[in-house]
Amino acid sequence: MTVSTEVVGAARVGVGGPVGSGKTALVERLIPLLRGEGIDLAVITNDLVTKEDAERLRRSRLIDPERVLAVEAGACPHTVIREDPTLNIEAAERLDAQFPGLELILIESGGDNLASTFSLDLVDYWMFVIDVAGGDDIPRKRGPGIIQSDLLVINKVDLAPHVGVDLDRMVAEAREVRGGRPVVLTNCRTGDGVDGVVRAIRDAVPLGRQTGKSAGSGSR
Amino acid sequence: MIEITRILGHCDDPDLSARIHHAGHHGGIEYLHIPPAEAARRRFRAVTDMGSECAVMLPRDQGIFDGAVLLLEHDRAVVARLTEQHWLRLRPSDVEGAALELGYHAGNLHWRVRFDHGDLLVALDGPRETYVARLADLMDEGKVEVVGE
Repeated sequence: MTVSTEVVGAARVGVGGPVGSGKTALVERLIPLLRGEGIDLAVITNDLVTKEDAERLRRSRLIDPERVLAVEAGACPHTVIREDPTLNIEAAERLDAQFPGLELILIESGGDNLASTFSLDLVDYWMFVIDVAGGDDIPRKRGPGIIQSDLLVINKVDLAPHVGVDLDRMVAEAREVRGGRPVVLTNCRTGDGVDGVVRAIRDAVPLGRQTGKSAGSGSR
Repeated sequence: MIEITRILGHCDDPDLSARIHHAGHHGGIEYLHIPPAEAARRRFRAVTDMGSECAVMLPRDQGIFDGAVLLLEHDRAVVARLTEQHWLRLRPSDVEGAALELGYHAGNLHWRVRFDHGDLLVALDGPRETYVARLADLMDEGKVEVVGE
């Protein structure tokens, strides 16, 4: 019989996408929903040369300010979530050590282009946020963020009629290029559709700070 | 639901293989098939070939590999199997300009690659056509050809 006391640490979920697509607004909507489900939560934000997004979340009072850490990429934001995610890994480990019951860390990338992706060395699951005002041709352009993300979030759906976007076609093309991977529509100003993001995370990522305490590694 | 929180070792490890063999006589050995591109993931849900639902939650310093023993009980074992990795074999027309250009291009696209006797092998983590489409210009210019998969 093998008994493990290893601490696995919190699950890590990445939130990426272009500048202004609504990543921080989505995180602001996710925090109360996830906390409402009893999930012990923390957030890491990434900005280019400021801590703007972290300060916005701390001021929001949605979460204990000590549970929000900021990483300054200092360069293209994808470098610290993909090529060398050391800064973000260290931040996540700091949160794991500081909050022993932590179950989930949301890692928000700085705004980037459609080629931005997360390293699986950093996160267990990641979503890519685009918005209708960025143009309904974005899914057709098949960037790695669009195609490879575990979840595609199309935000600001309320703006579609005002910016001449055929939302149905945009969604259909998104589903086609993603080969069946999930797509969720949101309006983060009102919170519409954000529960779908929570469900997608929970369906895909086992949460809980498991300690491998049962016989032979697994438990039933 | 089986919760998997650590890797016990490789199924061929002497101290594990006999116990896995024994478990096979009782209930069976279940296999968890995982695409190679997903092997770096530490937390995910999956279903074994016998229909058992698994919640995988591995420590950050452990990663799935082919033959990883994920569960071992008296009458049951769960072993990871990585599914076959398909590769696109590309041959540059020369080892100077074309090879450099192809290498730069593959790196720029963040493709996973290997090198084999002057060919560049690209791991296919999606539809083949998607990869070939990105090579259209190099192929049209005669700098690169697809020579196999």
